Amino acid sequence: MFRRHIPHQLAGLLDGELPLAEKKRVEDHLAVCGLCREEREQVRMGMSMLKHLPPAQAPDAIWNAIESAWPEQQQRSVAWFRQWFGQWLPAYAVLAVAAVAGIAYWTMVHRHERLWEVVEIHGSPGGGQEPIRKVAGVGPGDWIETDASSSARITVGQIGSVDVGPNARLRVVTTSPLEHRLTLERGEIHAKISAPPRLFFVETASATAEDLGCEYSLKTDVQGLGLLQVTLGWVSFQWKGIESLVPAGASCRTRPHEGPGVPYFDDAPEELRNALENLATEKFAGSSLDTILRVARVRDTLTLWHLLSRAGVPDRARIYDRMAALTPVPADVSRDKVLELDAKTLTRWKEALAWTW
Amino acid sequence: MVPLSDREVSPEIIAHCRAGDRDAIRVLYDTYKDRVYSVALYFFHGDESVAADVTQQVFLKLITGIAQFKGDAAFSTWLYRLVVNACQDMARRRKSAEWSTERSRLEEFPVGGSQEDDYARTEDARSVRDAVSELPPKLRMAVLLRYFDDLSYEQMAEVLHCSMGTVASRLSRGHKKLADRLKSLMGAKG
Repeated sequence: MFRRHIPHQLAGLLDGELPLAEKKRVEDHLAVCGLCREEREQVRMGMSMLKHLPPAQAPDAIWNAIESAWPEQQQRSVAWFRQWFGQWLPAYAVLAVAAVAGIAYWTMVHRHERLWEVVEIHGSPGGGQEPIRKVAGVGPGDWIETDASSSARITVGQIGSVDVGPNARLRVVTTSPLEHRLTLERGEIHAKISAPPRLFFVETASATAEDLGCEYSLKTDVQGLGLLQVTLGWVSFQWKGIESLVPAGASCRTRPHEGPGVPYFDDAPEELRNALENLATEKFAGSSLDTILRVARVRDTLTLWHLLSRAGVPDRARIYDRMAALTPVPADVSRDKVLELDAKTLTRWKEALAWTW
Repeated sequence: MVPLSDREVSPEIIAHCRAGDRDAIRVLYDTYKDRVYSVALYFFHGDESVAADVTQQVFLKLITGIAQFKGDAAFSTWLYRLVVNACQDMARRRKSAEWSTERSRLEEFPVGGSQEDDYARTEDARSVRDAVSELPPKLRMAVLLRYFDDLSYEQMAEVLHCSMGTVASRLSRGHKKLADRLKSLMGAKG
């Protein structure tokens, strides 16, 4: 009689992790199969030998290193920010390259996984038909579309959820444990992600939002005119080498063929927000920068810091001077280095400024 | 299993950590540091500096991300997901070293001075370490998670992003390979 051997269930049996019915099936098989009994003893031996593996004690230096990256008065979000910019930027750069290389591997291994699910659908996406309520898996290549009277909620693997508003159309690009990525063609989404940074990406026609452990809303039209609003954590908004870092309480517009604009706090003076909008079209030719510099508060150094790298040298000097007037410049941040856009200096200054953001 | 106390911290401690309480985070760190470090140490062939780096990364991510831990899963499940991610990230960074066994590193791997480490002074202990180190990464991680934290198959499935059947299969294959390898190591010595 043909018998299926049970090599993959042996650890489960020995660990007491098999359901009762499965356990009985495995035990029945073992009663008549010498080969599997022999293999069970091998697995048992492997388990028993592990007791010779001594647990190690973590060196005290690890906590010291953690403490040094986490000063007394540091808030959690700022702690993350400093850690990322102050210590891990080179590491993340390496990881980013490694991740790209790893994506092919993960894609192959997990190409059949359907980690996302549409868990709620409200309204009538079909166009006046009966409301749809179903649970459905979605995977790479699948489109999700809502009409004017419908919305949906998608679970993103085990790291969070995305609420899709009316009149939205998006495509699932990647659903691997290493990367969750979707393309938002049009409409608005609200994402809540609880995972280590850089696992969740949303592409639009003019920018890509990289989750840095956060909650945010993102809307766009098909041309790429869009708005990112962050409510928790940080989002990196990128396009062709341009990067805007948007913290909680701030927003950032994105425009076709230009990419992400300069972020601003939602509670910034209206004059500043209007001037920033005009600056995007004036390209520093009008008086908008004067207005921004005049009305900027300490907190608006978020906006000014981003403007440094987008302005020409004369305007950059004016921005620097205004920032220096608003808040003390760290001793190791020199004016000359800032005007040269020295990356280390800008990063160092941003670390200090982030306390006020 | 490894005799470790306080396997799971209380919800109160987690709540304090989420509020940014530094003392609570230290409690959390003290509870899990040795387990996290041990998993990383044996996963990376006894490389102490890499294990320390991974442990540091895990707890920094924990500190900055714990506010988003919703308590809808066991804390250890969430924590070990960070551990697995950190190990995967590190493995990619040192890819060439990871996918081949670092015999030289194992030779350098010191044994401690405590009574508990007496086992590690024996040839058997060295053999087990060698054998664990030679397991394929997926099997190695499954074996280490099960051994050092006694995670249930259900928790391991969540941590490793696979089914419980896959967990059972990886553990069965891992332990069998360990036994096979140990037999040949001991045979070679005998």
